Amino acid sequence: MKKRHDSPAFFEQLNTAAPSVMHIDLNSCFATVEQQARPRLRGRPVAIINRRTEHTMIITASYEAKAMGVKLGMRVRDAKKLCPDLIWLESDPPKYRYVYHKLLAIMNDYSAHVRMKSIDEGVIDFSETTEATRSRGLVDIGREIKQRLRDEVGVAMRCNVGISTNRFLAKTAASLHKPDGLDVITHENLRTIFAGLDLEDLTGIAHRNRQRLEQVGIYTPLEFLDADEEVLRRIVFKSIDGTAWHQRLRGWEVDKRDFPLRTAGRQFVLDGYALKPEEVLKRLHHLAEAVGRKIRSQGLVARGVQVHARSYAHEGRGWYGKYWHTRHMAAAPFFSDQAIYEIARQLFEQAPYPLKEIGITCYELAPPDDSQLHLFGDELAQQRAITTAVDTINSTWGERTIHSADTLGTDMVKVKIPFGSTRYL
Amino acid sequence: MNDEQFLHERIQVLCTFGSGLNPCVPRRIRRESGREIEITEIGLRHPTTRGRRMVHMFDVTDGQADYRLEFDSERLVWHLTMEGDRV
Repeated sequence: MKKRHDSPAFFEQLNTAAPSVMHIDLNSCFATVEQQARPRLRGRPVAIINRRTEHTMIITASYEAKAMGVKLGMRVRDAKKLCPDLIWLESDPPKYRYVYHKLLAIMNDYSAHVRMKSIDEGVIDFSETTEATRSRGLVDIGREIKQRLRDEVGVAMRCNVGISTNRFLAKTAASLHKPDGLDVITHENLRTIFAGLDLEDLTGIAHRNRQRLEQVGIYTPLEFLDADEEVLRRIVFKSIDGTAWHQRLRGWEVDKRDFPLRTAGRQFVLDGYALKPEEVLKRLHHLAEAVGRKIRSQGLVARGVQVHARSYAHEGRGWYGKYWHTRHMAAAPFFSDQAIYEIARQLFEQAPYPLKEIGITCYELAPPDDSQLHLFGDELAQQRAITTAVDTINSTWGERTIHSADTLGTDMVKVKIPFGSTRYL
Repeated sequence: MNDEQFLHERIQVLCTFGSGLNPCVPRRIRRESGREIEITEIGLRHPTTRGRRMVHMFDVTDGQADYRLEFDSERLVWHLTMEGDRV
């Protein structure tokens, strides 16, 4: 008997449809862009950092640096021990944004269904494109995109292309041969490819999920693929996530979803570990202004503020980092920098100094509800007018043309690269 | 190692305007000292904004060092803003 498309049994099978999803990933994006911009850096180990100190962490390393053992998250000081010739450069977000937009424009030429997953990777869904485009073959299109990236951005630009029937397998394919690879995963080669991977090579499987899988005797992607849906749902993930994994591994699309913006935040690793509370609050104020701008750029208001900090504490024989956080939900929505900072400042009165990292996140974001009359409506209207005027001036003349006097001298709290969301690019 | 030097030096630039990927190609620059530099390659040209003012950034090299040139499209002036990796 033929299995119905909407029956659970149908998804037991591998998806045998022709691949229609392409994942494109710029290789070591920021380092490659710097090597493109500065020809003399090509072929040399380059690391990108967010701040010019040896204590800062590496956010991207070129393949030449990676070959010497330099890894993301490593401190420059430690990386230089492995690679004495390492060239470290401060990140240059406008340059990366430009390349992001160039890549997006190229991808948009092939389908109306393009979704950028982050500043350096995106997905093209060909399932609803014209027959003329599809008939060319996705491998051919993938090669063309690689060439266009070199022609339209620069000769040093390389990207990985992965093609499959769903987003998960396309991303897996894009990670098989770095740099500059192009791979296709179909139902025919799925098992062969999984046989060469480790569980943590699969996107979404990190240490904790690996432990969960190992507890039921799943140690490899092939064993994960062969696992029973009920085991994954009831024992491993204890939720519908188990069913999603069961389908995802077989090439069925379960990740074609957009999530509304629920939170917006910024964090900052302090430029000194023994800063006085008033110095920390200045930087917190700067973060509050940045978060306020993010929220308003999306036309939203917030209801809650969460703050967090990492502190240094001496225990036993050494210093240990401790995580602290607290939150406050306001009675009425707010949107101004001042309102965000005021809540954050009060919450920070309980912070466990000395601190090494601080952060603010606004949550319960929603469009403003102007239909409801407020008791302090006049004050709100005044606050909105001032905030809008300041935002307009900053948009016209440059960020931080107008800012709180309290944040003078806090330029080190510079805007970082939004790794996750592409909403602000 | 990081040998970038950040500057804000007004420079004179000889450039050609054509078509293609880089329609504006800086060919030669003259620095305040009178020294002239022949540009052999444009690494990347990207626009950015200072408020609503458009500035074009040119990362270029003369084969001996890397330079960053900034062209302010509103004021029509060029600045040398970075010099790095001189051999």
